[in-house]
Amino acid sequence: MASYSNQHWLLSHIRNSFISTDDTGMCETVMLSDDMPKHYLRKYQGASVSNIATQNKQQQRKSLGNKQQFQRILDPVLQEVDFVCYPGLDQSDDEDMDSTTQSFEIQMYPEVWAHRFRSNTAQKLEKMDMARRKAAKTKSINYDEEIIPPERNDFFVKKKVTKSLQITKNNENVVRDIDVTDNIGTSSNTAVKSKLALQLANSPKQVQNKFMEYARFDGTSQAGIQTKRIHVFLSMLPERDRKTPIKICVLASAKIIEVIGLVCYKATIQYPEIPLKSIRHYALYMTEDNDAMEEFPPLDDREPCSKFGFSHLTLAERRPLAQVTRIDYANNVATKSMTSEEDKSRVAAAAVRSIQDMETNTGGISDEADSNCITNNEEYDERMMSHNDMLEAPMYRTYRLIINEKPFFKTEVTLGISGERIEIDQHKNAKFWTKQKAVTYPIDVIASCEIIEKRHLKATLRIWLKSSSSSSSNSNKTSTDMKSMTHASESSMVGGVAGAQSPKSPGHYLHVPSSFGLFSTSSGSGNSATGQHFPQMRFKHYDFEADTHTAEHILNKLSCILNVRSSEVRREFLQSRERKQDKNQAKKHLKM
Amino acid sequence: MEATGDQLILATGGYDHIIKLWQAHTGNCVRTIRFVETSQVNALDRTPDKTRLAACGYQCIRLYDIESSCAAPIINFEGVQKNVTRLGFQEDGNWMYTAGEDHRVRIWDMLSPQPHCSRVFDCQAPVNAACLHPNQVEIAMGSQNGGVYLWDVKSEVHDQLIPEVDASIQDVAISPDGQYMAAVNNKGNCYIWSLSSSPNQQLSTLSPKLKIAAHKRYVLRCKFSPDSRLLITTSGDGTARIWETEHFTMWRELCVENYWVWDAAFSADSKYVFTASSDGIARLWKLQTKNAERKYTGHTKAITALSFKDEIVTE
Repeated sequence: MASYSNQHWLLSHIRNSFISTDDTGMCETVMLSDDMPKHYLRKYQGASVSNIATQNKQQQRKSLGNKQQFQRILDPVLQEVDFVCYPGLDQSDDEDMDSTTQSFEIQMYPEVWAHRFRSNTAQKLEKMDMARRKAAKTKSINYDEEIIPPERNDFFVKKKVTKSLQITKNNENVVRDIDVTDNIGTSSNTAVKSKLALQLANSPKQVQNKFMEYARFDGTSQAGIQTKRIHVFLSMLPERDRKTPIKICVLASAKIIEVIGLVCYKATIQYPEIPLKSIRHYALYMTEDNDAMEEFPPLDDREPCSKFGFSHLTLAERRPLAQVTRIDYANNVATKSMTSEEDKSRVAAAAVRSIQDMETNTGGISDEADSNCITNNEEYDERMMSHNDMLEAPMYRTYRLIINEKPFFKTEVTLGISGERIEIDQHKNAKFWTKQKAVTYPIDVIASCEIIEKRHLKATLRIWLKSSSSSSSNSNKTSTDMKSMTHASESSMVGGVAGAQSPKSPGHYLHVPSSFGLFSTSSGSGNSATGQHFPQMRFKHYDFEADTHTAEHILNKLSCILNVRSSEVRREFLQSRERKQDKNQAKKHLKM
Repeated sequence: MEATGDQLILATGGYDHIIKLWQAHTGNCVRTIRFVETSQVNALDRTPDKTRLAACGYQCIRLYDIESSCAAPIINFEGVQKNVTRLGFQEDGNWMYTAGEDHRVRIWDMLSPQPHCSRVFDCQAPVNAACLHPNQVEIAMGSQNGGVYLWDVKSEVHDQLIPEVDASIQDVAISPDGQYMAAVNNKGNCYIWSLSSSPNQQLSTLSPKLKIAAHKRYVLRCKFSPDSRLLITTSGDGTARIWETEHFTMWRELCVENYWVWDAAFSADSKYVFTASSDGIARLWKLQTKNAERKYTGHTKAITALSFKDEIVTE
């Protein structure tokens, strides 16, 4: 801090800062050539001599001496202003002073220059130089210059138009409908054959670049359109070529999949002997400039390439497991992390196993865990899809839905689901009702998720969870009351609804307004059977309305999470459901 | 990348201010040249020795060496006003003609060390098209006010016609056998004249032959095939139509639906035709089958000009 009160230090600091940060180079030209403190020092040397003795005590003001004795007058205004000299500045010898007044980083040696940002001036000069050199090769003609009629008389020569063309024309009438190109060398009367026809005949259509459609994403020489230059290593090339990337210039608006197409297009031209598969098989991976491919997932096909700032990428065959989220099954903690190959296969195996358990995903899953022996692409893709579903399930995602609390009350909420918890947050724009607090439930209390109603476009989604009131501290009175009510409602329902499990039978559960007000609580009937462990386990549910696609997505995601974890709550919920079904069945039998 | 040699090169240019050179038989783009940043490419032509490519656009005329890898032009015209709409070379490459919206058609002496203008013709209206007679001394021109001109560059005599009032002539063409001259306008009509000339006559005589309602809309180009048996007209109605010059009846129609077909070029044997269209794709059509044999994709905007120099192979 002390240096901030030092005027000379400040001056020097400001000066150095200007020089080193001004990219136009203007400050440098002005300031570096004129070391002001030095000039002033020299200027006022005579006047200051008398004051040297007192300089140590305080910063002395140097009054201006005789004006006439200064040959170099820099600033007439300043002459009237007192000059404050840094103590000791005038005492030090020149070499010393150089080092104190000027930052070491600012030096005029060209080799040191390289360490600094090159100023725009330098770049501009270089550009101008390039342009000049280029222009030297270009001959310039003035369009509007005077007309100089040709000196030579034979400059304009009238040529005789040969009518031989017409003769060949007549000959050709015969050949007209015979395709010349298809029987090259056979017919002798084909008077005219073009080089193009020959070359076309010699290059069957297969020779054509099958990635042609991606050529339009080439940004080479494009003006006014944003482009990106990327060096792409091709992993499918033989060892010696693999080290040299192909340089592409692509339109910034192109999606990654289109970049892949363009790379394939260029690669086909450059290495025609390397057969490439369709672009679906390839992906772009992040890469160091020494072509070491990084262990990161590939760039997302759907993203525009302008989103990524990589200068080097590798085109490689899509790895079987694109994106891996490690689920620590032992600790029930989902962590997002990049894993080793071993982990990947372990997770994959676990995922495959759990998928096989799921009813919904029985198709297209084979036992073989190793991806090398997959022949059928579609099957492979399908499997990949399920894998990804499995693996992405614990990742946090939010959905905007409408919650159905009590009849007629519908509120927009945000439902967040991750591998650890779900959150329900009422939407901000719900002005009508006082905003409810957001609630969070650990995933362990979630029992089940189901779609209870499916209409044309909308679906109602129900999420079952353990009611927070289902603790042993519940008063007996409430529970017995509830039980009796449950039984009452049950008996009233029995005749009407065949499947007790039917989601359209909310009557099985007692609806009790909760403190939160957003949901209903209900007790699982027949919990006496499992009374030993969870004497009072009760379940409540939230009903959400969403479009069918979202609802199915949530159902899938949540089912994946729940299936993997299979918590006590879920087991209990499923058991109680089963029991109820049995009971209803039994009752039906009795009635019959 | 080697651009010439044994390869046949198709050159295309368009609204993306870019000129692309294609290997004609594979469809691969072998070179991309940035034209002037402020201009589209109005017309392209190659010098007869095929080593240079001339391009013209708004306020610019440039010649590129297509054999070197240098992207800078070897000749640049300065002080060009308005659009330069056409250019072309005399068959020995001795001179070049340019036509522009500055009302003038100029002849450039390309033999002298410093190319210069050696003839000027004033059309009194923006010139849209110009084409050289196979006798190498007459130039046919078409102007925006509907005038069609025939000018003898040697004697500087000329002839003028206005086939249709209130229509702009978009292109003119003379058949390689010197028999016909065609002019197309923005109303979709195509006019045909018979050309005749006696040995001592300076300027060919134009005698009107036919008017064809060639297209429903704007006709952009017309060109005769090397064997003079076919005439192609390209239009803003998404088609290129090929007419047999014997009776001027339509023989083939090539469709690039919903896009303008800006330019066309025949192969030397008149069996194939290239088209340039506003979908940014150049196509090679086999006329016999009307199949698009090759597509040349890479331009990001409409292709407005193309040039193709084929050779006759004798066996």
